[in-house]
Amino acid sequence: MTPVVVADSLTKRYGRITAVEDLSFALQAGTITGFLGPNGAGKTTTLRMLLGLAAPTSGRSLLFDRPYAQLDRPALRVGAVLEATDFHPGRSGRNHLLTLSRAVRLPDARVDEALRLVELEEAAGRRVKGYSLGMRQRLGLAAALLGDPELLVLDEPANGLDPEGVRWLRDFLRAFAAEGRTVFVSSHVLAEVAQTVDQVLIINRGCLVVESSLDELTARLGGGVRVRTPKAAELEQALAAAGIESAAAGDGTLFVRGTTSERVGEVAFTAGVPLHELTAESSSLEEVFLELTSEKQ
Amino acid sequence: MGARTRAELLKIRSTRTTFGLVVGMVLLVLLFVLLTGLLEHASGLEEKSNQHDYLAIGTLAALFAALAGVLVVTSEYRFGTIRPTFLFTPRRSRVVEAKLAASLIAGLVFAAVAEGLAFGIGYVILSGRGIPIALNGGDVALLVLGTLGSCAVWGAIGVGLGTILRNQVGSVIGLLAWSLLVENLLFGLVPSVGRYTPGRATDAVTGSSSDHLLSPAVGGVVLVAWAAALAAGGLTLTARRDVD
Repeated sequence: MTPVVVADSLTKRYGRITAVEDLSFALQAGTITGFLGPNGAGKTTTLRMLLGLAAPTSGRSLLFDRPYAQLDRPALRVGAVLEATDFHPGRSGRNHLLTLSRAVRLPDARVDEALRLVELEEAAGRRVKGYSLGMRQRLGLAAALLGDPELLVLDEPANGLDPEGVRWLRDFLRAFAAEGRTVFVSSHVLAEVAQTVDQVLIINRGCLVVESSLDELTARLGGGVRVRTPKAAELEQALAAAGIESAAAGDGTLFVRGTTSERVGEVAFTAGVPLHELTAESSSLEEVFLELTSEKQ
Repeated sequence: MGARTRAELLKIRSTRTTFGLVVGMVLLVLLFVLLTGLLEHASGLEEKSNQHDYLAIGTLAALFAALAGVLVVTSEYRFGTIRPTFLFTPRRSRVVEAKLAASLIAGLVFAAVAEGLAFGIGYVILSGRGIPIALNGGDVALLVLGTLGSCAVWGAIGVGLGTILRNQVGSVIGLLAWSLLVENLLFGLVPSVGRYTPGRATDAVTGSSSDHLLSPAVGGVVLVAWAAALAAGGLTLTARRDVD
């Protein structure tokens, strides 16, 4: 099956700064993909290139086999929200949607349907300046849903949502994907999307670090050793000298991969580093994420 | 009318900003028409050139039409709605074209309101004071049509300027400084150059007989050339620049 989204060696440079470097991936229909990375990793820049708002320095991206700008009435195939705040504060939510729907000749009834989908009918006549952040998020989503698209692209949609809002969004996206449609959702917090997504793309400093299913990610990087010491920096050095990679997780805690607790204990002993804790454990996703996107990468 | 143009007109209508511009314009027109009409000596208003400029006060709609045009573009960048706008219409030139068309229409409406008030009230005041109308039918036709046409073009000038600069405050200040200050200085100091500015070209289009102005036809061509140049610049830049 042809992928819904293809990024092919996407690269974006701003002067000497490389925001995205040689990024390639493909998304299949019916999947929910989390696009993860710390703030400044290049997620938004990537999404802007996919959606034709920014031109790549090199490489290209295709949505439904075409560059976004060459899609015929793209709003009917792709719904996207890049910022939760893209509204004129003095315009009502309903009028905001009408300015978009009418431009692409969608019937006004679609506006009311979209408002119903995001449960924003009551506030639709009010000016956006009175909306809470959660309501703005949902209005943005309503705009993306106007054309009844097959693909949703959302940049940090959980930002500013309360736990109930996050749960609502999760249920909504799952129902959306259950209809065979595709979701591509970015976040800098893995926990926000861990219960929603089937697979993850993790980028750091503009480069793809991991592309895998959530299960694979957990399995592949499952084991590790947690070690706590008052001399974390020294232990880190000693481990590095022994060819063992570790990631600082704060509070004097290191997370060590690809070795055993015995080996870590020996290295610590040789280096004269006192240990307060030495635990072999299967890591949580959050720790995996932290390690993959830590400064050492 | 195209769907995108209608969507742009909805953007113009659906915030209070436009309403505020119209109210400001109406108040300013009333102020000038009443003050001049009631305080100016009859001998002054009997003179044809003065009478023309009095009845042409509605041309100050041009500045408001241009402001509306500037806002049609820059408020999208200011509030970020440019992103959904371009997502729905990724061929950005079509968005700019729709904004140009909508602003031409808005400029026409602004001019109709302003010139309707200025000419209507001015005519009543002149008649009431027993001042004979010195303008013939051709003068009046040129005055009214010139005002409508030039204000529509000013809407497009505003869109062009806003599209090039994108920054709302900068565009508004630039527009005001240019029309209220630079044009007048230039025309006062070097009329042979200043008469080619959009503002003085507008005066020419309405048939003003002030010294040094271009002929109405040449003024019209110059004014449209300004709008076309700004629009072309805006279209080129909009196609090339990334949207943040």
